[in-house]
Amino acid sequence: MNAHLYTNELADEYNMQAYLEEQWKNMETLFIRKIMGFSSIGLGYKMKMPIIGRVLRAAAERQVHSESPKRVPKRADGHFGQVVPLEDAQHILGNLAAEPICKNYCVCRWMQRGVKDAVCINFGQLSGIIEKLHRYVPENTKFWIDREEAIAALEAQNKKGYVASVWFQPVPYINAVCSCESPECGGLRLRNDFGLMTVYKGEYVINVNQDNCQGCKSCVRMCQFNALRFLPSVNRVIVDLDKCFGCGVCRHACNHEALTLVPRDSVPGQAGKY
Amino acid sequence: MKKTKITIDYKKCSFAGKVDPRECRKCLHVCDTAVFLMHPTLEEHPDPYNPEKWLITPVWPSMCTGCMKCANICPEKAITVVPGQSLHNLNHPYPKF
Repeated sequence: MNAHLYTNELADEYNMQAYLEEQWKNMETLFIRKIMGFSSIGLGYKMKMPIIGRVLRAAAERQVHSESPKRVPKRADGHFGQVVPLEDAQHILGNLAAEPICKNYCVCRWMQRGVKDAVCINFGQLSGIIEKLHRYVPENTKFWIDREEAIAALEAQNKKGYVASVWFQPVPYINAVCSCESPECGGLRLRNDFGLMTVYKGEYVINVNQDNCQGCKSCVRMCQFNALRFLPSVNRVIVDLDKCFGCGVCRHACNHEALTLVPRDSVPGQAGKY
Repeated sequence: MKKTKITIDYKKCSFAGKVDPRECRKCLHVCDTAVFLMHPTLEEHPDPYNPEKWLITPVWPSMCTGCMKCANICPEKAITVVPGQSLHNLNHPYPKF
Protein backbone atom coordinates (compact mmCIF):
# COMPACT_ATOMS: atom_id res chain seq x y z
CA MET A 1 0.00 0.00 0.00
CA ASN A 2 1.29 3.38 -0.99
CA ALA A 3 0.66 5.91 1.79
CA HIS A 4 1.24 8.87 -0.54
CA LEU A 5 -1.96 8.10 -2.46
CA TYR A 6 -4.04 8.97 0.61
CA THR A 7 -2.53 12.36 1.39
CA ASN A 8 -4.11 15.79 1.09
CA GLU A 9 -0.89 17.02 -0.52
CA LEU A 10 -1.52 14.72 -3.47
CA ALA A 11 -5.07 16.02 -3.73
CA ASP A 12 -3.80 19.61 -3.79
CA GLU A 13 -1.20 18.79 -6.40
CA TYR A 14 -3.93 17.68 -8.82
CA ASN A 15 -6.49 20.29 -7.65
CA MET A 16 -8.88 17.50 -6.76
CA GLN A 17 -11.12 19.49 -4.44
CA ALA A 18 -12.83 21.22 -7.38
CA TYR A 19 -12.96 17.97 -9.37
CA LEU A 20 -14.57 16.04 -6.52
CA GLU A 21 -17.05 18.80 -5.85
CA GLU A 22 -18.26 18.70 -9.45
CA GLN A 23 -18.30 14.88 -9.47
CA TRP A 24 -20.31 14.55 -6.28
CA LYS A 25 -22.87 17.23 -7.18
CA ASN A 26 -23.70 15.16 -10.27
CA MET A 27 -23.05 11.63 -9.03
CA GLU A 28 -26.58 10.26 -9.52
CA THR A 29 -26.77 11.47 -13.12
CA LEU A 30 -23.66 9.50 -14.10
CA PHE A 31 -25.50 6.71 -15.91
CA ILE A 32 -27.98 8.90 -17.80
CA ARG A 33 -25.38 11.36 -19.14
CA LYS A 34 -24.55 11.01 -22.82
CA ILE A 35 -20.95 10.21 -23.64
CA MET A 36 -20.12 10.34 -27.35
CA GLY A 37 -23.88 10.32 -27.97
CA PHE A 38 -24.49 7.24 -25.80
CA SER A 39 -25.79 7.12 -22.26
CA SER A 40 -25.53 4.02 -20.07
CA ILE A 41 -29.28 3.40 -20.38
CA GLY A 42 -29.64 -0.12 -21.77
CA LEU A 43 -25.84 -0.51 -21.76
CA GLY A 44 -26.18 -4.29 -21.78
CA TYR A 45 -27.97 -4.23 -25.14
CA LYS A 46 -25.77 -1.49 -26.55
CA MET A 47 -22.61 -3.46 -25.83
CA LYS A 48 -24.08 -6.41 -27.72
CA MET A 49 -24.19 -4.40 -30.96
CA PRO A 50 -21.62 -5.76 -33.43
CA ILE A 51 -19.00 -3.00 -33.82
CA ILE A 52 -20.42 -0.11 -31.80
CA GLY A 53 -20.56 -2.39 -28.76
CA ARG A 54 -16.80 -2.92 -28.82
CA VAL A 55 -16.10 0.76 -29.31
CA LEU A 56 -18.39 1.59 -26.39
CA ARG A 57 -16.67 -0.94 -24.17
CA ALA A 58 -13.24 0.47 -25.00
CA ALA A 59 -14.44 4.03 -24.43
CA ALA A 60 -15.96 3.10 -21.06
CA GLU A 61 -12.76 1.35 -19.93
CA ARG A 62 -10.69 4.36 -20.98
CA GLN A 63 -12.99 6.68 -19.08
CA VAL A 64 -12.99 4.59 -15.90
CA HIS A 65 -9.18 4.53 -15.81
CA SER A 66 -8.53 7.99 -17.24
CA GLU A 67 -5.60 9.96 -15.84
CA SER A 68 -5.80 12.55 -18.59
CA PRO A 69 -5.88 16.23 -17.58
CA LYS A 70 -8.98 16.53 -19.77
CA ARG A 71 -11.02 14.05 -17.77
CA VAL A 72 -14.56 15.11 -16.91
CA PRO A 73 -15.74 15.13 -13.26
CA LYS A 74 -19.45 14.86 -14.20
CA ARG A 75 -18.75 11.47 -15.76
CA ALA A 76 -16.69 10.40 -12.73
CA ASP A 77 -13.67 9.69 -14.94
CA GLY A 78 -10.85 7.88 -13.17
CA HIS A 79 -13.15 6.46 -10.48
CA PHE A 80 -12.51 2.79 -9.81
CA GLY A 81 -11.86 0.61 -6.80
CA GLN A 82 -10.64 -2.65 -5.40
CA VAL A 83 -12.11 -5.12 -2.95
CA VAL A 84 -10.11 -5.42 0.28
CA PRO A 85 -10.52 -7.75 3.24
CA LEU A 86 -11.56 -6.26 6.57
CA GLU A 87 -8.05 -6.31 8.07
CA ASP A 88 -6.53 -4.31 5.21
CA ALA A 89 -9.42 -1.84 5.15
CA GLN A 90 -9.01 -1.28 8.88
CA HIS A 91 -5.29 -0.72 8.40
CA ILE A 92 -6.14 1.94 5.80
CA LEU A 93 -8.59 3.69 8.13
CA GLY A 94 -6.30 3.42 11.14
CA ASN A 95 -3.07 4.58 9.53
CA LEU A 96 -3.31 5.89 5.98
CA ALA A 97 -6.63 7.74 5.63
CA ALA A 98 -6.31 11.53 5.75
CA GLU A 99 -8.40 13.36 8.34
CA PRO A 100 -11.22 14.29 8.63
CA ILE A 101 -13.19 11.04 8.33
CA CYS A 102 -16.95 10.95 7.81
CA LYS A 103 -19.60 8.26 7.50
CA ASN A 104 -22.43 8.99 5.08
CA TYR A 105 -25.34 7.41 3.23
CA CYS A 106 -24.25 5.18 0.34
CA VAL A 107 -24.93 6.95 -2.97
CA CYS A 108 -25.40 3.74 -4.95
CA ARG A 109 -27.89 2.29 -2.52
CA TRP A 110 -29.89 5.53 -2.52
CA MET A 111 -30.05 5.91 -6.28
CA GLN A 112 -30.55 2.25 -7.21
CA ARG A 113 -32.35 0.77 -4.20
CA GLY A 114 -33.99 3.82 -2.64
CA VAL A 115 -32.46 2.98 0.72
CA LYS A 116 -30.56 5.31 3.04
CA ASP A 117 -27.79 3.30 4.60
CA ALA A 118 -24.96 5.07 6.43
CA VAL A 119 -22.07 2.77 5.53
CA CYS A 120 -19.69 4.74 3.30
CA ILE A 121 -16.57 5.95 5.03
CA ASN A 122 -15.01 8.87 3.19
CA PHE A 123 -11.93 10.80 4.20
CA GLY A 124 -9.55 13.54 3.24
CA GLN A 125 -10.78 16.27 0.91
CA LEU A 126 -13.94 14.34 0.00
CA SER A 127 -15.52 14.46 3.45
CA GLY A 128 -15.85 18.26 3.40
CA ILE A 129 -17.74 18.04 0.11
CA ILE A 130 -20.18 15.40 1.28
CA GLU A 131 -21.00 17.61 4.26
CA LYS A 132 -22.57 20.08 1.80
CA LEU A 133 -24.73 17.38 0.15
CA HIS A 134 -27.46 17.18 2.74
CA ARG A 135 -29.12 14.10 1.27
CA TYR A 136 -26.06 12.04 2.18
CA VAL A 137 -25.53 13.31 5.71
CA PRO A 138 -27.06 10.69 8.03
CA GLU A 139 -29.86 11.81 10.30
CA ASN A 140 -29.58 9.50 13.27
CA THR A 141 -25.92 8.55 13.35
CA LYS A 142 -22.71 10.48 13.77
CA PHE A 143 -21.35 12.07 10.59
CA TRP A 144 -17.82 13.02 11.70
CA ILE A 145 -16.04 10.02 13.16
CA ASP A 146 -12.56 9.35 14.47
CA ARG A 147 -10.27 6.51 13.40
CA GLU A 148 -11.42 4.11 16.11
CA GLU A 149 -15.07 4.70 15.28
CA ALA A 150 -14.37 4.17 11.58
CA ILE A 151 -12.60 0.89 12.28
CA ALA A 152 -15.44 -0.33 14.49
CA ALA A 153 -18.11 0.78 11.99
CA LEU A 154 -16.37 -1.04 9.17
CA GLU A 155 -16.13 -4.22 11.21
CA ALA A 156 -19.86 -4.12 12.02
CA GLN A 157 -20.73 -3.55 8.34
CA ASN A 158 -18.40 -6.30 7.17
CA LYS A 159 -19.99 -8.76 9.59
CA LYS A 160 -23.42 -7.83 8.24
CA GLY A 161 -22.25 -9.02 4.84
CA TYR A 162 -21.13 -5.82 3.12
CA VAL A 163 -17.93 -6.00 1.08
CA ALA A 164 -15.18 -3.51 1.94
CA SER A 165 -13.62 -1.72 -1.02
CA VAL A 166 -11.21 1.19 -1.50
CA TRP A 167 -11.80 3.76 -4.23
CA PHE A 168 -9.77 6.09 -6.37
CA GLN A 169 -11.65 9.25 -7.18
CA PRO A 170 -10.00 10.33 -9.29
CA VAL A 171 -6.97 8.09 -9.75
CA PRO A 172 -4.39 8.31 -8.12
CA TYR A 173 -6.08 9.88 -5.06
CA ILE A 174 -7.77 7.44 -2.64
CA ASN A 175 -10.48 8.84 -0.39
CA ALA A 176 -13.19 6.26 0.29
CA VAL A 177 -13.69 2.90 1.94
CA CYS A 178 -17.11 1.64 0.86
CA SER A 179 -19.19 -1.24 2.14
CA CYS A 180 -20.69 -2.54 -1.07
CA GLU A 181 -23.59 -4.77 -1.87
CA SER A 182 -24.35 -6.38 -5.22
CA PRO A 183 -26.25 -5.58 -7.46
CA GLU A 184 -26.92 -1.99 -6.31
CA CYS A 185 -23.27 -0.93 -6.21
CA GLY A 186 -22.61 0.98 -9.42
CA GLY A 187 -19.10 -0.42 -9.63
CA LEU A 188 -20.02 -4.05 -8.97
CA ARG A 189 -22.90 -3.79 -11.45
CA LEU A 190 -20.57 -2.73 -14.24
CA ARG A 191 -17.96 -5.32 -13.29
CA ASN A 192 -20.15 -8.35 -12.65
CA ASP A 193 -22.92 -7.76 -15.15
CA PHE A 194 -21.13 -5.93 -17.94
CA GLY A 195 -17.53 -7.05 -17.51
CA LEU A 196 -16.09 -3.53 -17.15
CA MET A 197 -13.10 -3.19 -14.81
CA THR A 198 -14.64 -0.72 -12.38
CA VAL A 199 -13.90 -2.87 -9.34
CA TYR A 200 -10.81 -5.04 -9.15
CA LYS A 201 -10.72 -8.29 -7.22
CA GLY A 202 -8.80 -8.32 -3.96
CA GLU A 203 -5.27 -9.52 -3.33
CA TYR A 204 -6.60 -12.75 -1.83
CA VAL A 205 -8.93 -15.64 -2.58
CA ILE A 206 -10.83 -17.79 -0.12
CA ASN A 207 -9.71 -21.31 0.71
CA VAL A 208 -12.24 -23.83 2.01
CA ASN A 209 -10.68 -26.41 4.30
CA GLN A 210 -12.55 -29.55 3.34
CA ASP A 211 -11.81 -31.33 6.62
CA ASN A 212 -13.10 -28.48 8.77
CA CYS A 213 -16.22 -27.70 6.75
CA GLN A 214 -19.26 -29.16 8.49
CA GLY A 215 -21.69 -28.29 5.71
CA CYS A 216 -23.70 -25.78 7.77
CA LYS A 217 -24.06 -23.51 4.66
CA SER A 218 -23.92 -20.32 6.77
CA CYS A 219 -21.19 -18.86 4.58
CA VAL A 220 -23.19 -19.25 1.37
CA ARG A 221 -25.66 -16.52 2.32
CA MET A 222 -22.81 -14.08 3.03
CA CYS A 223 -21.30 -14.14 -0.46
CA GLN A 224 -22.20 -11.13 -2.63
CA PHE A 225 -20.63 -12.73 -5.68
CA ASN A 226 -22.29 -16.19 -5.79
CA ALA A 227 -18.86 -17.77 -5.43
CA LEU A 228 -19.91 -20.23 -2.71
CA ARG A 229 -22.30 -23.14 -3.16
CA PHE A 230 -23.36 -26.08 -1.01
CA LEU A 231 -23.20 -29.61 -2.41
CA PRO A 232 -25.57 -32.03 -0.62
CA SER A 233 -23.81 -35.13 -2.01
CA VAL A 234 -20.53 -34.39 -0.25
CA ASN A 235 -22.08 -32.25 2.50
CA ARG A 236 -19.68 -29.37 2.13
CA VAL A 237 -19.29 -26.00 0.50
CA ILE A 238 -17.45 -25.51 -2.77
CA VAL A 239 -15.99 -22.26 -4.07
CA ASP A 240 -15.78 -20.88 -7.59
CA LEU A 241 -12.45 -19.04 -7.44
CA ASP A 242 -13.15 -17.26 -10.73
CA LYS A 243 -16.02 -15.47 -8.99
CA CYS A 244 -14.30 -14.99 -5.61
CA PHE A 245 -13.25 -11.37 -5.01
CA GLY A 246 -11.30 -12.21 -1.85
CA CYS A 247 -13.35 -9.97 0.42
CA GLY A 248 -13.34 -12.51 3.26
CA VAL A 249 -16.88 -11.65 4.36
CA CYS A 250 -17.83 -15.35 4.39
CA ARG A 251 -15.31 -15.96 7.20
CA HIS A 252 -17.58 -14.15 9.67
CA ALA A 253 -20.24 -16.84 9.26
CA CYS A 254 -17.94 -19.83 9.78
CA ASN A 255 -17.76 -21.36 13.25
CA HIS A 256 -15.40 -24.17 12.26
CA GLU A 257 -12.37 -22.28 10.96
CA ALA A 258 -12.89 -23.76 7.54
CA LEU A 259 -12.47 -20.49 5.63
CA THR A 260 -9.18 -18.64 5.33
CA LEU A 261 -7.90 -16.04 2.90
CA VAL A 262 -4.82 -17.01 0.93
CA PRO A 263 -2.84 -14.64 -1.31
CA ARG A 264 -4.20 -14.62 -4.85
CA ASP A 265 -0.71 -15.11 -6.23
CA SER A 266 -0.27 -18.35 -4.27
CA VAL A 267 -3.04 -19.96 -6.33
CA PRO A 268 -1.57 -20.62 -9.79
CA GLY A 269 -4.88 -20.36 -11.64
CA GLN A 270 -5.76 -17.04 -10.00
CA ALA A 271 -2.38 -15.32 -9.89
CA GLY A 272 -2.55 -11.92 -11.54
CA LYS A 273 -6.26 -12.24 -12.31
CA TYR A 274 -7.88 -9.18 -10.85
CA MET B 1 -32.78 -10.21 -30.02
CA LYS B 2 -35.93 -8.82 -28.44
CA LYS B 3 -35.00 -6.13 -25.95
CA THR B 4 -36.89 -5.65 -22.70
CA LYS B 5 -38.84 -2.39 -22.81
CA ILE B 6 -39.65 -0.67 -19.53
CA THR B 7 -41.43 2.67 -19.62
CA ILE B 8 -42.44 5.02 -16.84
CA ASP B 9 -45.27 7.49 -17.35
CA TYR B 10 -43.73 10.74 -16.09
CA LYS B 11 -47.17 12.38 -15.93
CA LYS B 12 -47.81 10.11 -12.98
CA CYS B 13 -44.35 9.73 -11.50
CA SER B 14 -41.94 12.68 -11.54
CA PHE B 15 -41.15 15.97 -9.82
CA ALA B 16 -43.98 17.51 -11.88
CA GLY B 17 -46.31 14.49 -11.77
CA LYS B 18 -48.62 13.18 -9.10
CA VAL B 19 -45.94 11.47 -7.03
CA ASP B 20 -42.37 12.59 -6.32
CA PRO B 21 -40.15 9.53 -6.89
CA ARG B 22 -38.08 10.42 -3.81
CA GLU B 23 -41.15 9.98 -1.63
CA CYS B 24 -42.39 6.73 -3.16
CA ARG B 25 -39.43 4.79 -4.69
CA LYS B 26 -41.24 1.47 -4.19
CA CYS B 27 -40.08 0.13 -7.57
CA LEU B 28 -36.42 0.54 -6.62
CA HIS B 29 -37.00 -1.29 -3.39
CA VAL B 30 -38.85 -4.19 -4.96
CA CYS B 31 -36.63 -4.82 -8.00
CA ASP B 32 -34.39 -7.81 -7.34
CA THR B 33 -31.93 -6.94 -10.09
CA ALA B 34 -31.89 -3.17 -9.35
CA VAL B 35 -32.90 -2.10 -12.84
CA PHE B 36 -34.05 1.39 -11.82
CA LEU B 37 -32.06 4.54 -11.18
CA MET B 38 -33.34 7.56 -9.25
CA HIS B 39 -31.59 10.74 -10.31
CA PRO B 40 -31.90 14.52 -10.57
CA THR B 41 -32.74 15.86 -14.03
CA LEU B 42 -29.82 16.96 -16.22
CA GLU B 43 -30.84 20.63 -16.23
CA GLU B 44 -29.15 23.27 -14.06
CA HIS B 45 -30.64 23.22 -10.59
CA PRO B 46 -31.07 26.44 -8.56
CA ASP B 47 -29.17 24.80 -5.71
CA PRO B 48 -26.75 22.30 -7.29
CA TYR B 49 -25.99 20.79 -3.88
CA ASN B 50 -29.65 20.07 -3.30
CA PRO B 51 -31.41 19.38 -6.62
CA GLU B 52 -35.19 19.34 -6.34
CA LYS B 53 -36.28 17.74 -9.63
CA TRP B 54 -35.93 13.97 -9.56
CA LEU B 55 -36.94 11.17 -11.94
CA ILE B 56 -36.70 7.40 -12.05
CA THR B 57 -35.19 5.85 -15.18
CA PRO B 58 -35.12 2.10 -15.92
CA VAL B 59 -31.40 2.23 -16.65
CA TRP B 60 -30.44 -1.46 -16.88
CA PRO B 61 -33.33 -3.10 -18.84
CA SER B 62 -31.03 -5.91 -20.00
CA MET B 63 -30.93 -7.16 -16.39
CA CYS B 64 -34.74 -7.31 -16.12
CA THR B 65 -36.08 -10.80 -15.58
CA GLY B 66 -39.70 -9.85 -16.25
CA CYS B 67 -41.04 -10.59 -12.77
CA MET B 68 -43.49 -7.62 -13.00
CA LYS B 69 -43.12 -6.77 -9.31
CA CYS B 70 -42.46 -3.11 -10.19
CA ALA B 71 -45.56 -2.82 -12.40
CA ASN B 72 -47.68 -4.38 -9.68
CA ILE B 73 -46.37 -2.38 -6.74
CA CYS B 74 -46.48 1.06 -8.42
CA PRO B 75 -49.32 2.94 -6.69
CA GLU B 76 -49.90 5.08 -9.79
CA LYS B 77 -49.61 2.16 -12.25
CA ALA B 78 -47.03 4.25 -14.08
CA ILE B 79 -44.69 1.39 -15.06
CA THR B 80 -45.16 -0.87 -18.07
CA VAL B 81 -42.81 -3.75 -18.79
CA VAL B 82 -42.61 -5.67 -22.07
CA PRO B 83 -40.18 -8.50 -21.29
CA GLY B 84 -37.57 -9.51 -23.84
CA GLN B 85 -34.20 -11.24 -23.72
CA SER B 86 -32.41 -10.72 -20.42
CA LEU B 87 -28.61 -10.66 -20.53
CA HIS B 88 -26.33 -11.95 -17.83
CA ASN B 89 -22.58 -12.08 -17.96
CA LEU B 90 -22.76 -15.70 -16.88
CA ASN B 91 -24.51 -17.23 -19.87
CA HIS B 92 -23.91 -14.49 -22.44
CA PRO B 93 -20.34 -13.34 -21.94
CA TYR B 94 -19.51 -10.03 -23.56
CA PRO B 95 -16.65 -10.05 -26.02
CA LYS B 96 -13.42 -8.86 -24.43
CA PHE B 97 -11.91 -5.91 -26.18
